Amino acid sequence: MAGPDSKFRVVILGGGTAGWMTAAGLARRLPRDAYSITLIESDEIGIVGVGEATLPHIKQFNDMLGLDEAEFMRATRATFKLGIEFCDWTRPGERYIHPFGAFGEPWGGVQFQHHWLRLRESGRNPAPFQACSLAVAAARANAFALPDEDPSSIRSTYSYAYHFDSGLYAPFLRDWAMARGAARIEGRMATAERDSDSGAILALSMQSGERIVGDFFVDCSGFRSLLLGDALDVDWEDWRHWLPCDRALAVPCDHGGDGLTPYTRATARPAGWQWRIPLQHRIGNGYIFSSDFISQDEAHETLLANLDGAPQSEPRLLRFTPGRRTSAWAGNCVAVGLASGFLEPLESTSIFLIQAAVIDLIDLMPSPTADHAIDPRLADEFNRLTTMHYERIRDFLILHYVANRREGEALWDYLRAMPLPDSLAHKVALFRARATAPEYQFGLFSRDSWLSVLFGQGLSPQAYDPLADTFDLDLVDGQCGDFKSRVDGAVAAMPSQREFIASYCAASESVAA
Amino acid sequence: MSGPPRHVVVVGRDVDLWLTATALRSAFGPAGVAVTAIELPSQLSPASVCATLPAIESLHARLGVDEGALLRATGGSFSLGYNLVPPAGAPFFLAHGAYGAPIDGSDFFGFWLKARRFGLTAELEDFSPTAMAARHGRIMLPDEDTESFGRTDYAYHLPAIAYASLLKSHANRLGVVMHPALEVGVERDSETGEIRALSPDGGPTVTGDLFIDASGPDAILIGDALGVGTEGWRAFFPFDRRLTGRGKRFASVPGYAEVRLSPTSWTALYAGQAATPVARAFHGGQEDNNVAAAAAAAASGLALDNVAITPIEPRIRKPAWSGNCVAIGASACAFDPLFELGLHGIQLGIVHLLSLFPATVHAGAERVEYNRITRSSFERLRDFQSAVYLLSGASAAAPESLLHKIDTFLARGTIAPMEDETFSPDQWRVLFVGLGLIPESWPPAIDTTPPDRMKDGFRKILGFVGSKVREQPTHDTYLADIAADRTP
Repeated sequence: MAGPDSKFRVVILGGGTAGWMTAAGLARRLPRDAYSITLIESDEIGIVGVGEATLPHIKQFNDMLGLDEAEFMRATRATFKLGIEFCDWTRPGERYIHPFGAFGEPWGGVQFQHHWLRLRESGRNPAPFQACSLAVAAARANAFALPDEDPSSIRSTYSYAYHFDSGLYAPFLRDWAMARGAARIEGRMATAERDSDSGAILALSMQSGERIVGDFFVDCSGFRSLLLGDALDVDWEDWRHWLPCDRALAVPCDHGGDGLTPYTRATARPAGWQWRIPLQHRIGNGYIFSSDFISQDEAHETLLANLDGAPQSEPRLLRFTPGRRTSAWAGNCVAVGLASGFLEPLESTSIFLIQAAVIDLIDLMPSPTADHAIDPRLADEFNRLTTMHYERIRDFLILHYVANRREGEALWDYLRAMPLPDSLAHKVALFRARATAPEYQFGLFSRDSWLSVLFGQGLSPQAYDPLADTFDLDLVDGQCGDFKSRVDGAVAAMPSQREFIASYCAASESVAA
Repeated sequence: MSGPPRHVVVVGRDVDLWLTATALRSAFGPAGVAVTAIELPSQLSPASVCATLPAIESLHARLGVDEGALLRATGGSFSLGYNLVPPAGAPFFLAHGAYGAPIDGSDFFGFWLKARRFGLTAELEDFSPTAMAARHGRIMLPDEDTESFGRTDYAYHLPAIAYASLLKSHANRLGVVMHPALEVGVERDSETGEIRALSPDGGPTVTGDLFIDASGPDAILIGDALGVGTEGWRAFFPFDRRLTGRGKRFASVPGYAEVRLSPTSWTALYAGQAATPVARAFHGGQEDNNVAAAAAAAASGLALDNVAITPIEPRIRKPAWSGNCVAIGASACAFDPLFELGLHGIQLGIVHLLSLFPATVHAGAERVEYNRITRSSFERLRDFQSAVYLLSGASAAAPESLLHKIDTFLARGTIAPMEDETFSPDQWRVLFVGLGLIPESWPPAIDTTPPDRMKDGFRKILGFVGSKVREQPTHDTYLADIAADRTP
């Protein structure tokens, strides 16, 4: 038992993106006189590092730490990201972008998509829905500029994320966190020592024989989930019936092809999909597939046949099961990142899920008490929030698959026919009936994100909000045209992503420099 | 038939009826939607009052109801919140506004909690411009300074007869067709079971595409005619009788409501310019009507006229929208009378119907979504009321969602975020603290803020509250200015 003067000891197992984001977040926000933060990692264990593409929320996390954006981007060879392009998801040859920004503007309290559908139905020929977004238009033009904070500016209608080398982000955060008091222990864990009465984890025994005692343990051990999964045996909820991909082959390649696009690309393939993530110095690629529908050799071949430039290594295989631990926090152990659950990186949510867990953990971190007991009510709230995040993202991911029109391909035929979670079936029905999309106060995804994929996947609303009919059609037509020309004007004034990076944050050895 | 409904028929009475009919006609009239109102006899008395929440202002704006004109026509007054008098402990003010402002980028409440632990005596309400204005007999008008500080808002106490009458004339001007009726016959489609037509007092039938039940707890369409059931909330709300009455006005009109709680009843005063309406909720089995009337007079300190006693049966309709019939108001959710949330319940029903007005008469997806979102919103309101009953010792039971909120609050001092809330985290925390819950910890992150910066933050907030309150006119002066149409 801890004495009254001793610090509350937080021990983090695993030093990848999850581990060092946790260590950095806790080091930044927790008082150092009350908490000690120790991270155990082994140089022998590689990190998964799939999460190279992010969502705009990552900027809030970096800002919370106080990172200098240009310095962070140089250090991680980062590029800017305005959205995700989905190629061939409906049928081969078709593409759309899920932008980090708004479509049009609401006029008279009625959302833009309703005005737009009405214009189309009235034969007014509005610009394509995709074209009514500054983020999409800029992405298509390979352009980038920082958003404007003035809400009256068209350039305030988007935000941005990054592509970065997560193999470099974790070390960047490691230096940052260690400079602020986080301790690092090199080595591999052998066993977790548990209290025979309470089941709480008391200490981690290392292969070196060292014993790391803690009050609270954060499992960042990745897919192996050494503490929450192995030691505590928390149940796994399997979502493979909705998200059948269970393997990925990842390979970096040289620049070439489409170059420094300010967006991630996800291209549908016969048994899954392929990602393309342009960094300053290379392009990250991967084929994520279902092992029920294709052999590894075939996937390997497909991946290598679809690269912008020469591969920089042999493709690396990752195995996973989509789903999550039913409780991310049990007793005195919380899992962050892949140890807590896995959702395929189709919408770049891996790092978001880490970030959300770190922020919730900062808010709900147990307070040092005389016996350093863990209040289970904090765990209940953490688990409620984690469930919300996972289920909402899950529904959004499944949405990409259900409306595919890749007929005759076994995986895609299965996906079109599978029964949906009730929560998603309802959202799809509501959009089909009247073009209404969900709007949450908390968590992902925004209404515009839903709209981009609902429209992008070709779901056709049968009608629109009847309130749209109460507006003057000519006026709405004019506003829509005016919006489009403001978008085009703003994009024309933006530099290319390559130019912007060269002047802002180019790493010393990068193509953009 | 495809396309949106062309003709909406609203059956009901009083504010439920006229607010709904006006809102529908005002929104969809320009698209050619006709609205017919079948008006049942009023159940209002001179003691009836609509105690609103601040949100009503945005609905009024949408309907073109001007605030000054509203208050002049109804003789209404302002309410900055509720002064709650618990059975034990000090009275506290539940304001329509923020309590404190962030210090060093972190939420104020944790700092207050920590400072109290170290001997601070200032109450939460001392950090609220809205609450302090109310305590000093003043109004709190939002401006740029208060906007940057945090939310400051107000609601109204509107004499209900005058308010309903104003809405009715508004409906009339907008072209709502009106039929008075003592009884309404309902004709249903023999195949679908949907409502085909209504016949007021057995007269000529009124057909429609969509029927709104705004008949209050009687629920004559959705309940009587369609047989849609309810889920009772009696377990959380033990009081089964409500007394309403009217006392004389206070010489100076308080700009807030007051609720005096006991484990066996509560008595509420809704101060107004012409009179002071009083409500009391109690156990019918423990107090007969004469005892209740005497107790209401004693608890309010006012001699009451127009006394009436009605049953309380808190319950939610399952579902609120069935077939081509939408329940709005107490027909959809009969709230316990605490805080007079009924009008807000009507507003939620209207607002969600406006945004989910059927794109086709079939309306399948809209119905599911409407039922989901209204139920969720009503449950959050129910939880807020339930907290008062649970924590003042009047009830031993509470919904799971509230118990989770209380647990999270006790453990950490934060309010578990939930969708579709009406009351803000600040309001939840003031309620919990006022009723005796003191969190056992605060977010450890605030301990990184140096004590001097925390103290400086407190001083700045208290200074702002003091100077802002002194700038405000008194409630009486402001009401006189509005009566004379002298406000900007």
